[in-house]
Amino acid sequence: MKIFEIREAFLQAFDSLKSNRMRSFLASLGVIIGISFVLLMGWVLSGLDKAMSDSFKMMGVDVMYVDKFDWAGGKSWKDVRNRPNITLRQAEKLIESLTDVELAVPVARKWQTEIKFAGNTYNGITSQGTYYQFGFTPGGTIEDGRFFTQNEDQFNSNVVCLGYKVAETIFPKGDAVGKEIKIEGRKFLVVGVIKKQGTTFFDFLDNIVYMPLSTFMKTFGKFRRTFSIAVKAGSVENLDNARAEVEGKMRIVRNLAPGEENDFSINETKAFEAQVATIRAIVWSVGIGMTLLSFIVGIIGIVNVMFVSIFERTREIGIRKALGAKKRIILMQIVFEAMILSFLGAVLSFIFTSLIAYLTGTIVIQYVPEVSFLSPYMPLDLLLISSVISIIVGIISGLIPAIRASNFEPVIALRYE
Amino acid sequence: MNNQKLILTEHLSKIYKMESTIVAALQDINISIDYNEYVSIMGPSGSGKTTLMSILGCLDSPSSGSFYLDGVDVSGLDDDDLAVIRNHKIGFVFQTFNLMPRANCIKNVELPLIYAGVPADERHERAIKALQNVGLGDRMYHKPTELSGGQRQRVAIARALVNNPSLIFADEPTGNLDTKTGEEIMKLFADLWRNGNSIILVTHEEDIAKHAKRIIKLRDGLVIDDNINPTPIYI
Repeated sequence: MKIFEIREAFLQAFDSLKSNRMRSFLASLGVIIGISFVLLMGWVLSGLDKAMSDSFKMMGVDVMYVDKFDWAGGKSWKDVRNRPNITLRQAEKLIESLTDVELAVPVARKWQTEIKFAGNTYNGITSQGTYYQFGFTPGGTIEDGRFFTQNEDQFNSNVVCLGYKVAETIFPKGDAVGKEIKIEGRKFLVVGVIKKQGTTFFDFLDNIVYMPLSTFMKTFGKFRRTFSIAVKAGSVENLDNARAEVEGKMRIVRNLAPGEENDFSINETKAFEAQVATIRAIVWSVGIGMTLLSFIVGIIGIVNVMFVSIFERTREIGIRKALGAKKRIILMQIVFEAMILSFLGAVLSFIFTSLIAYLTGTIVIQYVPEVSFLSPYMPLDLLLISSVISIIVGIISGLIPAIRASNFEPVIALRYE
Repeated sequence: MNNQKLILTEHLSKIYKMESTIVAALQDINISIDYNEYVSIMGPSGSGKTTLMSILGCLDSPSSGSFYLDGVDVSGLDDDDLAVIRNHKIGFVFQTFNLMPRANCIKNVELPLIYAGVPADERHERAIKALQNVGLGDRMYHKPTELSGGQRQRVAIARALVNNPSLIFADEPTGNLDTKTGEEIMKLFADLWRNGNSIILVTHEEDIAKHAKRIIKLRDGLVIDDNINPTPIYI
């Protein structure tokens, strides 16, 4: 195979596609749809991935929660429910015994609490009681005002920090700090607003209010309650160490005999990853199915057009052969034609889907905030991957017609009308 | 070999099998053609002249017998080897011109050179020269559809000549032309012969065949007559 042969075949291929634009476009429609599917799917998934990892970063990738419940849902619900509650005493014992971690604080939660302000009632908010040190974790980073202090913690003051979404809902003007709200009928002073934590998918993280643990117990009751312990390892590298220590110490606190199963779970941001992985897998498999289908349609489309095209050009192929074109030149020309056809289809898909991405990321986002996790740009690696796919599809669909054309007998081809 | 012939066939035959019947398009053809000969192969349709031209032009292979072109036994060569031989040794001029409709004259004439691997600059130069030689120096960038029949056939002749072949085949070269234009083309062939080219003219018309110096007549796949033409036209 010589360079000039490739060049020539390429030029000829381009030329013959140019002379039949409409048919070329229709032939590559299947590929256009297929590649568009791949791109749009990949775009959504990459947005999802980014949203997820951003949320993890906000929550702290080095943070774990010792909890009665397992967040990943891997354990049988019945077993988990029958685990003994983690008492405040146990939580404190664990915290005291930990040496290899940066920070550990107990956390108590009450789901579905009710907040009242200026005659309006807001439901579905999670109240969380913790120590003032929680303000030092990524999850307690302040946007406005301050976190509650050690003093307020000790003297069970009725102060509260609002999660970003809570503040946004109740105080759309952004003047939450210094206001008085009612939680479960008690008056609370808003001292701070927590920085936005989650994204579209994890907005429950922003739907929390934080108060001193003592205040929490005064408000919601002390007994029949399970506590969890937020542990900050200090760094991702120390995560394994910290986890091992937490598990060992917690087993001692819980009086577990060697060999006995843990009656608590250590939850990390990874737990979410497992859940999201399932969603990803579903999106992918549905998407891949549709993509494969459209590629098959695409291949059939191109094969068809290539067959029509080679029979239409039988005589031309005969002339080329009479003038000395070898089989492989004819073969290459037809394969290149199919390849260019398919690749141009992919390029059209790039333009089309990039437009969708851009419009979604800049305009649609203003009306539908739920799509905020989507980037206005197509990821570059997706474009590269789909270019390669389109070229492979082109070669596959060009091959059979090309072999057929290259085997035309010159005598017969020349006489073809 | 001093006595090497341009074309030498021995017991050449071509048999087509069609469903139940066997058709012998050529039977026991023994001909020998020298360098710089001007030969007509003549016969009515169905005589086998097109089949003979296809085999002599390396477009097709014989069923049996041997065929030496320029001293090389080509009867056993595969498709790609034949393509190389056609490219280097043979120039074709067809009744229907067989030009690439989308390409201009230069591109058409360049085609054999492309397949021969001639670099672009040299290709371009040689194509221009070939077109000037057939009197189309001022039509080089026209497409075939913008030319008259006679001009198209000149482009085809330029294309046939551009790679300096040993042999030029003309298959009914005047069949699609009016008489006057046809005569001009026949004059051009006479010039080519005078310049040292070997020409084989395939035709069913006696008037056209008479332009050659030697006339081989075929009927029913057999050579029935092979004689020198004492009065070739334009020669």
